[in-house]
Amino acid sequence: MKRLNLLLLLCVLSILIYAEDKKKFGESITIKEISPVSKILEKPEEFVAKKILVEGRIIDVCEDKGCWLEISSDKKFQTLKCYGKQNGISFPADIKGKKAKIQGEIYKVELTKEKAIEYFKHQAEHKKEEFDSAKITGPTTLYFLKVFGAEIE
Amino acid sequence: MIEKNQSEKISAIRKWIKIIHRDLGYICFGLCVVYAVSGFAVNHMNDWNPNYIKEIREIKIKNFDYMSIEEDKELARRVLKEAELNYQIDDCFFENRYIFKIFLKDGIIEVDFKNFQVKIEKTKKRPIFYELNYLHLNKAKKAWTYIADAFAVSLFVLALTGLFMIKGKNGITGRGAYLTAIGLLLPIVFIVVYIYL
Repeated sequence: MKRLNLLLLLCVLSILIYAEDKKKFGESITIKEISPVSKILEKPEEFVAKKILVEGRIIDVCEDKGCWLEISSDKKFQTLKCYGKQNGISFPADIKGKKAKIQGEIYKVELTKEKAIEYFKHQAEHKKEEFDSAKITGPTTLYFLKVFGAEIE
Repeated sequence: MIEKNQSEKISAIRKWIKIIHRDLGYICFGLCVVYAVSGFAVNHMNDWNPNYIKEIREIKIKNFDYMSIEEDKELARRVLKEAELNYQIDDCFFENRYIFKIFLKDGIIEVDFKNFQVKIEKTKKRPIFYELNYLHLNKAKKAWTYIADAFAVSLFVLALTGLFMIKGKNGITGRGAYLTAIGLLLPIVFIVVYIYL
């Protein structure tokens, strides 16, 4: 019986020691300097494949599987979509509105005109924005952040 | 004499099978509850959100010249006043020309300035189910991965020992064989029909 009690105690201790902090996702944040989202969106090519740290408010999150979240920029009307699914990171739905620090890598997705229309139409519907397909005149390049690690306040 | 020895050996093996099945069954009971309840909840993901309860309240406010208010926090305070809401504002952000978001300690308010509609959204964890799904879907990772792996192996051992626990007409050589065949056929039929036909 004493052995069983000891085993139970060990189980509880190991859970406490190894339990993952719910507010941390993926790898630990190691980068100190924050890259402003506005700066990234201004010249995204300069940031492609570079490991960076961004900060913002979580304005939206994928409610189905938590595979992405969208953070606010330091400037109005700008947001950055961050995907965690490539690295097996899923975000809970109750973090909307919270402050987030995210470490990751900017990557680009090139869309044909048809695919771009489809994408922006879907985005506009989701965000209740007006959508004019005539504004998309050709292939489009989109930039996202591939999340390696995140800390949610 | 040889037959007697063999029968004794089989009895001894069966005794151990029963002991393993019994004790492993006790250990696995709690985990079975976790995986069964969560499995049921996650199976019906299309019908409900098994992890969260989302509370949404919508209020229509009267039109006002929101563009004339330069300070975002002041605009947020005005929106709350118009909607007769008393919340502490954490932060706010214009997502686009019409969508303005007000961040609260425990939720988010979305203001649609096209229709002057205020949507208060609060997401709460669904009690019990959130915790069970957290374990079932291995969101805990680290130590839980080993426990879940051990549980998977244990389930296999339970299934295997279960086959040989009873001898006679209800055992694996009798009725048990038919029931085991049904259990094996079910997934095979679904795989063939759903994937290969």
